Formats: sequence, structure tokens, C-alpha cells
Amino acid sequence: MNKNLFKISPGFEDIMPAEYRELVHDGPYGKNLGVSDLGTFKELLEEHPLCAGCGLALSLRLILASLPNPEDTIIVGSTGCSSLAFPQVGVHNIHSLFGNQNAVASGLKRALKLRFPEKTKDVVAIAGDGATADIGLDMVMHSWFRRENIATIMLDNEAYANTGGQESGMSPQGTVLYMAPKGKKFPKISLPEIAREVGCAYVAVGSPAQPRPLEKMVRRTILVAREIGPTYLQVFCPCPTNYKFKPQETVAKIKQREKEGTFQTREYITLEAQKLLTKLEEGKK
Amino acid sequence: MYVAVKLEDGKCTGCKLCIFICPEPNVLKFSKEVKKVAVNEGRCKGCGLCVTICPKEALASASIGN
Ligand SMILES: Cc1ncc(C[n+]2csc(CCOP(=O)(O)OP(=O)(O)O)c2C)c(N)n1
Ligand code: SF4
Ligand code: SF4
Ligand code: SF4
Ligand SMILES: [Mg+2]
Repeated sequence: MNKNLFKISPGFEDIMPAEYRELVHDGPYGKNLGVSDLGTFKELLEEHPLCAGCGLALSLRLILASLPNPEDTIIVGSTGCSSLAFPQVGVHNIHSLFGNQNAVASGLKRALKLRFPEKTKDVVAIAGDGATADIGLDMVMHSWFRRENIATIMLDNEAYANTGGQESGMSPQGTVLYMAPKGKKFPKISLPEIAREVGCAYVAVGSPAQPRPLEKMVRRTILVAREIGPTYLQVFCPCPTNYKFKPQETVAKIKQREKEGTFQTREYITLEAQKLLTKLEEGKK
Repeated sequence: MYVAVKLEDGKCTGCKLCIFICPEPNVLKFSKEVKKVAVNEGRCKGCGLCVTICPKEALASASIGN
């Protein structure tokens, strides 16, 4: 992206909001910053209305800090708690009708390839578990079948959080939630394994409990989608409000689930993707 | 009354763990000069996540305002 596009014209500095000025002066665009640099630059996420201790807000913050190319990234979001944060995000983003994010992202990526054939533009669908594994599953799966060059990231809080905490396909079996007063009757959907089987070149499951490994996964998800084909990253984002635990326990919940064996970080990488990543990651050292 | 986190400056070693666990952007800032963090209290939601991770007990939740 041409940096002059967001720079403030001389003489107009004082009428622009302070947050915008900070983004222009101290934002991460074109500086190759990452999670380790958080706290030293103006973040791509601005003050947002998500709950105190929200695992999804923390994940989104880390994901945005991990983008390999934020100035040329377009995020396609969907309805849900994350859609309340996206108006506060300093990266091009589009809100799509609930569940349509991968269809919109596919069309967008194709159009960008035609319009800017010489440029790298990353298209990343970021949506909740309901939008990805339930209501938008059709659009998600078909974008994978068609081998679209898009990255899909699920913010998995294991419920329909934004509508008050109903069960989703990603809620663990037995969990008592709205619409599941006696406990959910079927197991959590194994979407990472489904993604691997239908041909996603890179698949990973991570969480904000491990910020740097999560950063690596985000980068791999985007870089492989750019060069090879569809990729999928599932991020576990516990929700204190609907799972009714204290906001300071969000990360402890992830560790507890890991101990119980009901949450596992993992990666599935095709040979072709592994070759690419080895090349890119060696080049970086 | 609001709850926000307070930093006991002398205890902070600048490990930055609190910065990586906070769900709020631009709240905990790291100063390269003094190698410590500073809290923007007005933007803190008082969730307490940073308190749980600080190895030096440099952070504590406190009431601010009235
Ligand atoms: C087409 C359509 N169907 C249903 C809804 C109602 N709705 C809004 S948010 C939501 C659930 C979102 O769940 P998820 O995708 O997991 O996101 P979360 O809020 O948990 O982050 C639903 C069902 C809608 N807005 N649009
Ligand atoms: S309801 Fe849950 S997921 Fe939504 S903002 Fe609140 S804590 Fe986050
Ligand atoms: S976690 Fe504690 S010691 Fe580490 S930077 Fe934060 S306040 Fe300082
Ligand atoms: S209490 Fe929560 S919002 Fe406030 S600085 Fe700590 S982690 Fe961030
Ligand atoms: Mg959800």
C-alpha cells in the first residue's frame, strides 16, 4: 500500500483524532514488527467494547500483531463478538453477512489478483465458531474444495457468545449452555482434521496462552495461503461471560483444558507447504 | 467506581509477560529507556489477567475514581 494514502495532509494534523495521529506516527505499517514488539508501537486494534478478560479480544490483538503484511491485508469478518471490535481495527476489513465470510473472501481475493496482479494482497477470513463451523460451514468448506488462496481463522469461544451463550457445534460434549439445558449431546466438531482431509495446505490449532507460537501459526496460515492454497487456523478463545468464570481466569482455563486433554495445540502441514515454510523461515534467520 | 490495575514500579523487571496477556490494546506500554512497563489506567478494564501472570507481583487491581 502506498503510505501516502493514510498520511495526514499538512495543516490537518490538529483536527484528526489523536488515535489516528498515533497510528500514522507509531503504527506498525511497513516496519516488520511482531508480538515481541507489543507495548512499543501503536497497535492495529483500538479501544474496543468486548468484555473484560475476553479471550477473543486477546487473540485478535495477538493475531493483528502477527500479520506479515498488515498494510496489504484485507480481513473479512462476520457477525459475532469480533464484529464489535472490527470497527476499531486499523487494517482494511469487510463485515459480511453471518456465515458468508469465506464466500466474500474468495471473490475478493480473485478480484484483487486481477486488479493488482503484480502485488501481494493477503485475504484473511476471521470469524467465530458459529460463523465458521455451523452457519457458514458450507461457504468455508467450498472455499477449501475450490482451493482458494485465502486464510481462514476461527475465533473459537465454543458458543454463540454474541447472542447470549447458545451451544455451537464447537462446544464440548456435555456443556450446559442455552439450547443445551441438559448438556450438549454431541462432541465438538473436529474441524482441523476435516480441513486437513479436504486439502488445506496448512492447518493449526493454537491459543493466546502461547503468544509466540500463535504468532508463528498466524504467519504460516497467511504465507501458505498466499503461495499454495487454503489454510485454516483455529484459535481457542475462552469466554468468561458465557462460560461464567472470572475474567482473570481466561488463560488458566486454556491450561486446565490442556491438562484434561480436551484441548490440544497441533499443526498439519503438507509436504509442499513444509518446503515453502522451510525456505521462508530459513531466509528470515 | 472503576477497577484498574496499578503498577508497583520498583518491582517490575520489564519481562513484558503482562503485555502479551492483556486483551486491551495500548494499555501496557514498555519503555525501552527504563526497561519497565507503564499502565494507561484509563484504558484498563481491570480484568486481572496481567496480575495472574506477573512473576514479580508488581501488578495489583485497585479501585480508581469514585
Ligand atoms: C444470518 C444470521 N443468522 C443469525 C444471526 C444471529 N447471530 C448473531 S451473532 C450469532 C452467533 C455468533 O456466534 P459465533 O460465530 O460463534 O461468534 P461469537 O459471538 O461467539 O464470537 C448469531 C446466531 C445473524 N446475525 N445473522
Ligand atoms: S461475550 Fe464472551 S466472547 Fe463475547 S466479548 Fe464477552 S467475553 Fe468476549
Ligand atoms: S509481568 Fe510484571 S515484571 Fe513483567 S513487565 Fe509486567 S509488571 Fe513488569
Ligand atoms: S487488568 Fe486486564 S485490562 Fe487491565 S492491564 Fe491488566 S490485563 Fe490489561
Ligand atoms: Mg463463538
